[in-house]
Amino acid sequence: MFSLQSILGSESCEQVLMFILARSQGYPTEIANFFKVSKLPIQKQMAKLEIGNVLASHLVGRTRLYQFNPRYPFLKEVKALLEKALTFYPESLQEELRMNRRRPRRAGKPL
Amino acid sequence: MKPIANMTQPEIGALVVSHLKKVGIPVVLSGGAVVSIYSHAKYVSKDLDLVDIYFHKKSKIMDAMSEIGFVEYGRYFKHPDSEFFIEFPPGPLSVGAEPIREIIQKEYTTGVLMLISPTECVKDRLSAYYHWNDQQSLDQAVLVAANQDINLNEVRRWSEQESKLAEYNIFLSRMKS
Repeated sequence: MFSLQSILGSESCEQVLMFILARSQGYPTEIANFFKVSKLPIQKQMAKLEIGNVLASHLVGRTRLYQFNPRYPFLKEVKALLEKALTFYPESLQEELRMNRRRPRRAGKPL
Repeated sequence: MKPIANMTQPEIGALVVSHLKKVGIPVVLSGGAVVSIYSHAKYVSKDLDLVDIYFHKKSKIMDAMSEIGFVEYGRYFKHPDSEFFIEFPPGPLSVGAEPIREIIQKEYTTGVLMLISPTECVKDRLSAYYHWNDQQSLDQAVLVAANQDINLNEVRRWSEQESKLAEYNIFLSRMKS
């Protein structure tokens, strides 16, 4: 389900942006696993978006975590476009994208 | 013209900016090097961020830079006789959600340097402080404001647009202390 592919130019770009819009942050493996695609195109797209200042990243342990760059001048407008496009996704996918555990989980806690 | 090895940071900037302008690639100096110039080198930065305002192809920039002896190293260009690194961050030339309109020209024996104004430089540093809570950037904004004439009304107006008035007041109190 890709609603902006024709203007973004690639599925991976839309997947990255939608994931980060929904969850505020993400890393390549996580996004590739979510959409069940290979990691390489996602990784390349994230690097490209970072060079273009759309995304910014920082290391957390050994993971490079990406988020929207708050200094990107078109951020508000890009987010508005993505928000609208997200409403065209199937409800189940919208829910899945937005549903992630944000509260802390104590180390060693059984399921 | 003096040898590149003896050129100061702004002189190198002027050389590159003038050459690129000649071949149709207008660029403007932004970032830490501007802080260095406006603070009279109280802050030192070894790199020069030249914002490519009109999104030229990297190959065109590479060709132009090689004409004046600069070699590409990953994201940077460097002249073998100079310690300074040059980067070309993509445009648009902006600070927060707004375009930068106040560009200053400074003449050097090596060429004319185009750089963002002191007020825009303060906003640029404050942007990093506002959004990343980067204390070094706050220090740099205070340093530039202490050494240059700044339009504080404009900085306040822009800070309000960015929804960062509380942080602006911290900047103000740091300036006065």
